[in-house]
Amino acid sequence: MKIKKLLFVTKFEDLCYNSLNSLLDLTKASLEHVVFLNVIEKEKVAMHRGAGYIKEEEVKLKETANIRFIDWAENLFELGLEVGAHINVGSLIPEILKTIETEKPDLIVIGRSHKGPLEQLYSRSDVTELIRRISIPVLVFKHMNEDNIVPDKPFRKPLLATNWSDSSINAAEYINDLKELIDEVNVMYVTNEKQLKSKSTHKVQKIRKQERAKLDELCDTFEDNGIKTRAHVYVGDPEKEIIKAAKEYQASMIVLGSSSRTSIIERWMGSITRTIADKSIYPCLLIPSNKKEASK
Amino acid sequence: MSKKVLVVDDDPDVRTFIVTVLEENNFTPIVAQDGVEGLQKIEEENPDLVTLDVLMPRGSGIRLYRKLKTDPSLKNIPVIMLTGITLKSFLRSQKTLSEFQGEKVPVPDFYLEKPVEPEELIDAINESLKG
Repeated sequence: MKIKKLLFVTKFEDLCYNSLNSLLDLTKASLEHVVFLNVIEKEKVAMHRGAGYIKEEEVKLKETANIRFIDWAENLFELGLEVGAHINVGSLIPEILKTIETEKPDLIVIGRSHKGPLEQLYSRSDVTELIRRISIPVLVFKHMNEDNIVPDKPFRKPLLATNWSDSSINAAEYINDLKELIDEVNVMYVTNEKQLKSKSTHKVQKIRKQERAKLDELCDTFEDNGIKTRAHVYVGDPEKEIIKAAKEYQASMIVLGSSSRTSIIERWMGSITRTIADKSIYPCLLIPSNKKEASK
Repeated sequence: MSKKVLVVDDDPDVRTFIVTVLEENNFTPIVAQDGVEGLQKIEEENPDLVTLDVLMPRGSGIRLYRKLKTDPSLKNIPVIMLTGITLKSFLRSQKTLSEFQGEKVPVPDFYLEKPVEPEELIDAINESLKG
Protein backbone atom coordinates (compact mmCIF):
# COMPACT_ATOMS: atom_id res chain seq x y z
CA MET A 1 0.00 0.00 0.00
CA LYS A 2 2.07 2.89 -1.26
CA ILE A 3 1.00 6.45 -0.52
CA LYS A 4 1.40 8.07 -3.91
CA LYS A 5 -1.49 10.50 -3.70
CA LEU A 6 -2.60 12.36 -0.60
CA LEU A 7 -5.86 14.26 -0.17
CA PHE A 8 -5.40 17.11 2.29
CA VAL A 9 -8.75 18.35 3.57
CA THR A 10 -8.43 21.73 5.21
CA LYS A 11 -10.63 24.43 6.66
CA PHE A 12 -7.48 26.57 7.14
CA GLU A 13 -8.41 27.17 10.75
CA ASP A 14 -6.95 23.82 11.78
CA LEU A 15 -4.78 22.16 9.14
CA CYS A 16 -2.38 24.63 7.61
CA TYR A 17 0.89 24.57 5.74
CA ASN A 18 2.89 23.51 8.81
CA SER A 19 0.82 20.31 9.03
CA LEU A 20 1.18 19.70 5.32
CA ASN A 21 4.88 20.40 5.49
CA SER A 22 5.35 17.80 8.21
CA LEU A 23 3.79 15.21 5.89
CA LEU A 24 6.21 15.90 3.07
CA ASP A 25 8.48 13.33 4.66
CA LEU A 26 6.24 10.93 2.75
CA THR A 27 8.11 11.85 -0.42
CA LYS A 28 10.88 9.59 0.94
CA ALA A 29 8.44 6.72 0.66
CA SER A 30 6.36 7.22 -2.47
CA LEU A 31 4.38 10.46 -2.32
CA GLU A 32 4.07 12.10 -5.75
CA HIS A 33 0.81 13.99 -5.73
CA VAL A 34 -0.94 16.21 -3.18
CA VAL A 35 -4.53 17.30 -3.65
CA PHE A 36 -6.01 20.09 -1.53
CA LEU A 37 -9.68 20.23 -0.68
CA ASN A 38 -11.44 23.13 0.97
CA VAL A 39 -15.15 22.76 1.56
CA ILE A 40 -17.08 25.95 2.09
CA GLU A 41 -20.03 24.97 4.24
CA LYS A 42 -23.12 25.88 2.27
CA GLU A 43 -24.69 27.56 5.31
CA LYS A 44 -22.06 30.26 4.91
CA VAL A 45 -23.23 31.28 1.47
CA ALA A 46 -26.78 30.12 1.01
CA MET A 47 -30.31 30.93 1.96
CA HIS A 48 -29.98 33.74 4.45
CA ARG A 49 -33.37 35.22 5.17
CA GLY A 50 -34.04 38.03 2.74
CA ALA A 51 -30.71 37.56 0.98
CA GLY A 52 -30.99 34.17 -0.77
CA TYR A 53 -27.73 32.85 -2.14
CA ILE A 54 -24.86 35.17 -1.33
CA LYS A 55 -22.73 34.95 -4.47
CA GLU A 56 -20.31 37.64 -3.24
CA GLU A 57 -19.60 35.63 -0.11
CA GLU A 58 -18.94 32.50 -2.19
CA VAL A 59 -16.52 34.40 -4.43
CA LYS A 60 -14.75 35.88 -1.43
CA LEU A 61 -14.38 32.53 0.35
CA LYS A 62 -13.31 30.71 -2.81
CA GLU A 63 -10.72 33.33 -3.68
CA THR A 64 -9.41 33.35 -0.11
CA ALA A 65 -8.95 29.58 -0.32
CA ASN A 66 -7.46 29.85 -3.79
CA ILE A 67 -4.85 32.36 -2.63
CA ARG A 68 -3.80 30.02 0.19
CA PHE A 69 -3.67 27.00 -2.10
CA ILE A 70 -1.61 28.85 -4.73
CA ASP A 71 0.89 29.76 -2.04
CA TRP A 72 1.13 26.18 -0.79
CA ALA A 73 1.14 24.73 -4.30
CA GLU A 74 4.11 26.87 -5.35
CA ASN A 75 6.18 25.29 -2.59
CA LEU A 76 5.14 21.77 -3.52
CA PHE A 77 5.52 22.25 -7.27
CA GLU A 78 9.05 23.45 -6.67
CA LEU A 79 9.77 20.17 -4.85
CA GLY A 80 8.72 18.35 -8.01
CA LEU A 81 5.37 17.20 -6.60
CA GLU A 82 2.17 17.16 -8.62
CA VAL A 83 -0.47 19.32 -6.97
CA GLY A 84 -4.21 19.73 -7.43
CA ALA A 85 -6.90 21.72 -5.67
CA HIS A 86 -10.63 21.57 -5.17
CA ILE A 87 -12.63 24.38 -3.59
CA ASN A 88 -16.24 23.29 -3.30
CA VAL A 89 -19.37 24.62 -1.70
CA GLY A 90 -21.35 21.93 0.09
CA SER A 91 -21.28 19.62 3.08
CA LEU A 92 -17.95 18.27 4.23
CA ILE A 93 -18.38 14.52 3.96
CA PRO A 94 -20.25 14.41 0.62
CA GLU A 95 -17.66 16.76 -0.88
CA ILE A 96 -14.80 14.60 0.41
CA LEU A 97 -16.47 11.54 -1.08
CA LYS A 98 -16.88 13.30 -4.43
CA THR A 99 -13.24 14.32 -4.44
CA ILE A 100 -12.16 10.78 -3.55
CA GLU A 101 -14.14 9.54 -6.52
CA THR A 102 -12.37 12.00 -8.86
CA GLU A 103 -8.87 11.87 -7.45
CA LYS A 104 -8.58 8.33 -6.03
CA PRO A 105 -6.12 9.20 -3.23
CA ASP A 106 -4.20 6.64 -1.17
CA LEU A 107 -4.42 8.62 2.09
CA ILE A 108 -6.83 11.23 3.38
CA VAL A 109 -5.63 13.82 5.87
CA ILE A 110 -8.32 15.55 7.87
CA GLY A 111 -8.45 17.64 11.04
CA ARG A 112 -10.23 16.46 14.12
CA SER A 113 -13.98 16.76 14.22
CA HIS A 114 -15.29 20.12 15.33
CA LYS A 115 -18.78 18.89 16.07
CA GLY A 116 -19.96 19.18 19.65
CA PRO A 117 -20.89 16.10 21.73
CA LEU A 118 -24.62 16.51 21.14
CA GLU A 119 -24.17 17.03 17.41
CA GLN A 120 -21.93 13.94 17.26
CA LEU A 121 -24.50 11.90 19.10
CA TYR A 122 -27.04 12.38 16.33
CA SER A 123 -24.92 12.88 13.26
CA ARG A 124 -21.62 11.15 14.19
CA SER A 125 -18.28 12.90 14.04
CA ASP A 126 -16.83 13.75 10.64
CA VAL A 127 -14.11 11.16 11.19
CA THR A 128 -16.55 8.38 12.07
CA GLU A 129 -18.73 9.27 9.14
CA LEU A 130 -15.76 9.21 6.80
CA ILE A 131 -14.42 5.90 8.07
CA ARG A 132 -17.84 4.35 7.70
CA ARG A 133 -18.06 5.30 4.06
CA ILE A 134 -14.62 4.72 2.63
CA SER A 135 -11.95 2.04 2.62
CA ILE A 136 -8.94 4.34 2.40
CA PRO A 137 -6.60 5.11 5.31
CA VAL A 138 -7.39 8.35 7.12
CA LEU A 139 -4.87 10.42 9.03
CA VAL A 140 -6.59 12.59 11.62
CA PHE A 141 -4.04 15.32 12.00
CA LYS A 142 -4.12 17.54 15.02
CA HIS A 143 -3.63 21.27 14.75
CA MET A 144 -0.97 23.07 16.68
CA ASN A 145 -2.28 23.61 20.17
CA GLU A 146 -0.95 25.09 23.37
CA ASP A 147 1.00 21.90 24.02
CA ASN A 148 2.80 22.40 20.73
CA ILE A 149 2.68 18.63 20.44
CA VAL A 150 2.23 18.19 16.69
CA PRO A 151 5.43 16.48 15.66
CA ASP A 152 7.61 17.64 12.82
CA LYS A 153 7.76 14.10 11.50
CA PRO A 154 4.59 12.28 12.46
CA PHE A 155 5.67 8.98 10.95
CA ARG A 156 8.94 8.88 12.88
CA LYS A 157 7.72 7.03 15.96
CA PRO A 158 4.26 5.53 15.56
CA LEU A 159 2.46 3.59 18.25
CA LEU A 160 0.53 0.71 16.73
CA ALA A 161 -2.32 -0.38 18.99
CA THR A 162 -3.51 -3.77 17.83
CA ASN A 163 -6.55 -5.81 18.79
CA TRP A 164 -5.66 -8.52 16.26
CA SER A 165 -8.56 -7.55 13.98
CA ASP A 166 -8.12 -7.69 10.20
CA SER A 167 -7.74 -3.94 10.12
CA SER A 168 -5.04 -4.05 12.82
CA ILE A 169 -3.12 -6.61 10.81
CA ASN A 170 -3.52 -4.38 7.78
CA ALA A 171 -2.24 -1.43 9.82
CA ALA A 172 0.94 -3.38 10.60
CA GLU A 173 1.49 -4.05 6.90
CA TYR A 174 0.90 -0.38 6.17
CA ILE A 175 3.58 0.65 8.65
CA ASN A 176 6.00 -1.82 7.12
CA ASP A 177 5.57 -0.05 3.78
CA LEU A 178 6.63 3.25 5.37
CA LYS A 179 9.94 2.02 6.72
CA GLU A 180 11.93 4.84 5.14
CA LEU A 181 10.19 7.28 7.48
CA ILE A 182 10.23 5.32 10.71
CA ASP A 183 12.83 5.35 13.46
CA GLU A 184 10.98 3.03 15.82
CA VAL A 185 7.56 1.42 16.16
CA ASN A 186 5.99 0.71 19.53
CA VAL A 187 3.42 -2.05 19.28
CA MET A 188 0.87 -2.56 22.04
CA TYR A 189 -2.06 -4.70 23.02
CA VAL A 190 -4.48 -3.79 25.79
CA THR A 191 -5.77 -6.68 27.86
CA ASN A 192 -9.15 -6.22 29.41
CA GLU A 193 -9.04 -6.25 33.20
CA LYS A 194 -11.90 -8.78 33.26
CA GLN A 195 -9.68 -11.30 31.48
CA LEU A 196 -7.23 -11.10 34.33
CA LYS A 197 -9.73 -11.85 37.08
CA SER A 198 -8.60 -15.22 38.36
CA LYS A 199 -7.67 -16.81 41.64
CA SER A 200 -4.56 -18.17 40.04
CA THR A 201 -1.54 -15.94 39.38
CA HIS A 202 -0.43 -18.56 36.92
CA LYS A 203 -3.50 -17.98 34.69
CA VAL A 204 -3.02 -14.23 34.70
CA GLN A 205 0.65 -14.57 33.84
CA LYS A 206 -0.23 -17.02 31.09
CA ILE A 207 -2.53 -14.49 29.43
CA ARG A 208 0.13 -11.82 29.55
CA LYS A 209 2.70 -14.27 28.18
CA GLN A 210 0.42 -15.32 25.31
CA GLU A 211 -0.30 -11.75 24.28
CA ARG A 212 3.34 -10.81 24.56
CA ALA A 213 4.32 -13.77 22.36
CA LYS A 214 1.82 -12.68 19.71
CA LEU A 215 3.19 -9.15 19.87
CA ASP A 216 6.75 -10.42 19.56
CA GLU A 217 5.74 -12.35 16.48
CA LEU A 218 4.32 -9.15 15.00
CA CYS A 219 7.44 -7.25 16.00
CA ASP A 220 9.55 -9.79 14.13
CA THR A 221 7.83 -8.79 10.89
CA PHE A 222 8.96 -5.20 11.51
CA GLU A 223 12.46 -6.19 12.58
CA ASP A 224 12.84 -8.40 9.50
CA ASN A 225 12.04 -5.31 7.46
CA GLY A 226 14.71 -3.30 9.29
CA ILE A 227 12.37 -1.34 11.59
CA LYS A 228 13.31 -1.08 15.26
CA THR A 229 10.37 -2.26 17.36
CA ARG A 230 9.25 -2.57 20.98
CA ALA A 231 6.26 -4.54 22.26
CA HIS A 232 4.06 -3.63 25.23
CA VAL A 233 1.13 -5.28 26.95
CA TYR A 234 -1.11 -2.90 28.90
CA VAL A 235 -4.08 -3.69 31.10
CA GLY A 236 -7.28 -1.69 31.45
CA ASP A 237 -9.51 0.58 29.43
CA PRO A 238 -8.15 0.57 25.85
CA GLU A 239 -8.82 4.28 25.27
CA LYS A 240 -6.92 5.38 28.35
CA GLU A 241 -4.16 2.82 28.01
CA ILE A 242 -3.43 3.61 24.37
CA ILE A 243 -3.09 7.30 25.14
CA LYS A 244 -1.01 6.47 28.20
CA ALA A 245 1.34 4.34 26.09
CA ALA A 246 1.59 7.09 23.47
CA LYS A 247 2.73 9.49 26.18
CA GLU A 248 5.10 7.04 27.86
CA TYR A 249 6.86 6.14 24.65
CA GLN A 250 6.66 9.64 23.15
CA ALA A 251 4.80 8.46 20.10
CA SER A 252 4.60 10.76 17.11
CA MET A 253 1.24 9.28 16.12
CA ILE A 254 -1.19 6.52 17.05
CA VAL A 255 -1.99 3.92 14.41
CA LEU A 256 -5.24 2.00 14.73
CA GLY A 257 -7.19 -0.41 12.61
CA SER A 258 -10.56 1.09 11.78
CA SER A 259 -13.85 -0.64 11.36
CA SER A 260 -16.62 0.51 9.09
CA ARG A 261 -19.19 -0.92 11.47
CA THR A 262 -21.56 1.67 12.81
CA SER A 263 -23.96 -0.02 15.11
CA ILE A 264 -26.40 1.94 17.22
CA ILE A 265 -24.34 1.03 20.27
CA GLU A 266 -21.22 2.47 18.70
CA ARG A 267 -23.02 5.66 17.85
CA TRP A 268 -24.31 6.14 21.36
CA MET A 269 -21.39 4.84 23.33
CA GLY A 270 -18.60 5.86 21.02
CA SER A 271 -15.89 3.62 19.58
CA ILE A 272 -12.31 3.48 20.79
CA THR A 273 -11.08 4.57 17.39
CA ARG A 274 -13.39 7.55 17.25
CA THR A 275 -12.62 8.66 20.76
CA ILE A 276 -8.89 8.47 20.28
CA ALA A 277 -9.03 10.06 16.84
CA ASP A 278 -11.25 12.91 17.96
CA LYS A 279 -10.05 13.54 21.48
CA SER A 280 -6.42 12.55 21.89
CA ILE A 281 -3.72 15.09 21.21
CA TYR A 282 -1.92 12.70 18.86
CA PRO A 283 -2.29 12.46 15.12
CA CYS A 284 -4.14 9.20 14.44
CA LEU A 285 -3.69 7.04 11.39
CA LEU A 286 -6.77 4.88 10.89
CA ILE A 287 -6.32 1.90 8.62
CA PRO A 288 -9.32 0.00 7.31
CA SER A 289 -9.43 -3.70 6.72
CA ASN A 290 -8.72 -5.06 3.25
CA LYS A 291 -11.75 -7.26 3.67
CA LYS A 292 -15.19 -5.80 3.02
CA GLU A 293 -17.04 -5.45 6.30
CA ALA A 294 -20.78 -5.45 6.33
CA SER A 295 -22.20 -2.12 7.37
CA LYS A 296 -24.66 -2.55 10.18
CA MET B 1 -11.36 29.51 -40.99
CA SER B 2 -11.13 30.67 -37.41
CA LYS B 3 -8.39 29.30 -35.19
CA LYS B 4 -9.24 26.82 -32.46
CA VAL B 5 -8.13 27.78 -28.97
CA LEU B 6 -8.34 25.29 -26.12
CA VAL B 7 -8.94 26.87 -22.71
CA VAL B 8 -7.84 24.61 -19.85
CA ASP B 9 -9.00 26.03 -16.53
CA ASP B 10 -10.94 24.62 -13.58
CA ASP B 11 -12.62 27.93 -12.71
CA PRO B 12 -15.92 28.23 -14.61
CA ASP B 13 -15.89 32.03 -14.30
CA VAL B 14 -12.45 32.20 -15.90
CA ARG B 15 -13.51 29.81 -18.67
CA THR B 16 -16.58 31.91 -19.41
CA PHE B 17 -14.50 35.10 -19.49
CA ILE B 18 -11.90 33.67 -21.86
CA VAL B 19 -14.49 32.04 -24.10
CA THR B 20 -16.30 35.37 -24.42
CA VAL B 21 -13.09 37.19 -25.28
CA LEU B 22 -12.18 34.54 -27.84
CA GLU B 23 -15.58 34.55 -29.50
CA GLU B 24 -15.58 38.33 -29.71
CA ASN B 25 -12.26 38.10 -31.53
CA ASN B 26 -13.32 35.42 -34.01
CA PHE B 27 -11.57 32.45 -32.45
CA THR B 28 -13.25 29.10 -31.87
CA PRO B 29 -12.98 28.23 -28.19
CA ILE B 30 -12.90 24.70 -26.80
CA VAL B 31 -12.85 24.15 -23.03
CA ALA B 32 -11.44 21.62 -20.60
CA GLN B 33 -11.64 21.78 -16.83
CA ASP B 34 -8.48 20.00 -15.74
CA GLY B 35 -5.20 18.64 -17.02
CA VAL B 36 -6.55 15.20 -17.83
CA GLU B 37 -9.46 16.52 -19.88
CA GLY B 38 -7.10 19.09 -21.38
CA LEU B 39 -4.82 16.42 -22.83
CA GLN B 40 -7.79 14.46 -24.10
CA LYS B 41 -9.16 17.57 -25.90
CA ILE B 42 -5.75 18.37 -27.36
CA GLU B 43 -5.54 14.89 -28.85
CA GLU B 44 -9.12 14.93 -30.12
CA GLU B 45 -9.43 18.52 -31.33
CA ASN B 46 -5.90 19.37 -32.40
CA PRO B 47 -6.19 23.05 -31.32
CA ASP B 48 -4.06 25.83 -32.82
CA LEU B 49 -3.23 27.19 -29.35
CA VAL B 50 -3.75 26.30 -25.70
CA THR B 51 -4.29 28.59 -22.72
CA LEU B 52 -3.34 26.67 -19.63
CA ASP B 53 -3.97 27.17 -15.93
CA VAL B 54 -1.57 25.52 -13.46
CA LEU B 55 -3.40 24.59 -10.25
CA MET B 56 -6.31 22.36 -11.18
CA PRO B 57 -7.93 19.12 -10.02
CA ARG B 58 -6.65 15.83 -11.45
CA GLY B 59 -3.69 16.89 -13.64
CA SER B 60 -1.91 20.21 -13.13
CA GLY B 61 -0.79 22.60 -15.87
CA ILE B 62 2.82 21.96 -14.86
CA ARG B 63 2.61 18.32 -15.92
CA LEU B 64 0.40 18.99 -18.95
CA TYR B 65 2.79 21.66 -20.21
CA ARG B 66 5.62 19.20 -19.81
CA LYS B 67 3.71 16.50 -21.62
CA LEU B 68 2.98 18.87 -24.51
CA LYS B 69 6.53 20.09 -24.87
CA THR B 70 8.10 16.64 -24.73
CA ASP B 71 5.70 14.96 -27.16
CA PRO B 72 7.00 15.34 -30.73
CA SER B 73 3.48 15.41 -32.16
CA LEU B 74 2.28 18.13 -29.77
CA LYS B 75 5.31 20.24 -29.01
CA ASN B 76 4.63 22.80 -31.75
CA ILE B 77 1.27 23.84 -30.32
CA PRO B 78 1.79 27.30 -28.79
CA VAL B 79 0.93 27.44 -25.09
CA ILE B 80 -0.01 30.54 -23.11
CA MET B 81 0.14 29.96 -19.38
CA LEU B 82 -2.67 31.82 -17.66
CA THR B 83 -2.46 31.28 -13.92
CA GLY B 84 -2.11 32.60 -10.39
CA ILE B 85 1.16 30.70 -9.91
CA THR B 86 4.16 32.96 -10.41
CA LEU B 87 6.51 32.49 -13.38
CA LYS B 88 9.41 32.11 -10.98
CA SER B 89 7.70 29.20 -9.26
CA PHE B 90 6.69 27.65 -12.59
CA LEU B 91 10.27 27.76 -13.85
CA ARG B 92 11.64 26.33 -10.62
CA SER B 93 9.13 23.48 -10.80
CA GLN B 94 10.09 22.71 -14.37
CA LYS B 95 13.76 22.81 -13.39
CA THR B 96 13.16 20.31 -10.58
CA LEU B 97 11.22 18.00 -12.91
CA SER B 98 13.89 18.35 -15.59
CA GLU B 99 16.46 17.20 -13.04
CA PHE B 100 14.31 14.19 -12.09
CA GLN B 101 13.37 13.25 -15.61
CA GLY B 102 16.50 14.34 -17.44
CA GLU B 103 14.56 16.22 -20.10
CA LYS B 104 14.37 20.02 -20.37
CA VAL B 105 11.34 21.87 -21.65
CA PRO B 106 11.31 25.33 -23.28
CA VAL B 107 9.76 28.32 -21.54
CA PRO B 108 6.13 29.02 -22.52
CA ASP B 109 5.39 31.41 -25.37
CA PHE B 110 3.61 33.71 -22.94
CA TYR B 111 3.16 33.59 -19.20
CA LEU B 112 0.24 35.70 -18.01
CA GLU B 113 -0.65 36.03 -14.36
CA LYS B 114 -4.33 36.20 -13.47
CA PRO B 115 -6.32 38.35 -13.74
CA VAL B 116 -5.65 39.19 -17.36
CA GLU B 117 -7.13 41.99 -19.46
CA PRO B 118 -8.87 40.97 -22.72
CA GLU B 119 -6.44 43.01 -24.87
CA GLU B 120 -3.43 41.48 -23.16
CA LEU B 121 -4.78 37.98 -23.83
CA ILE B 122 -5.66 38.65 -27.46
CA ASP B 123 -2.27 40.26 -28.10
CA ALA B 124 -0.54 37.21 -26.62
CA ILE B 125 -2.66 34.83 -28.70
CA ASN B 126 -2.06 36.75 -31.93
CA GLU B 127 1.65 36.99 -31.23
CA SER B 128 1.92 33.25 -30.45
CA LEU B 129 0.01 32.25 -33.58
CA LYS B 130 2.30 34.38 -35.76
CA GLY B 131 5.32 32.34 -34.72
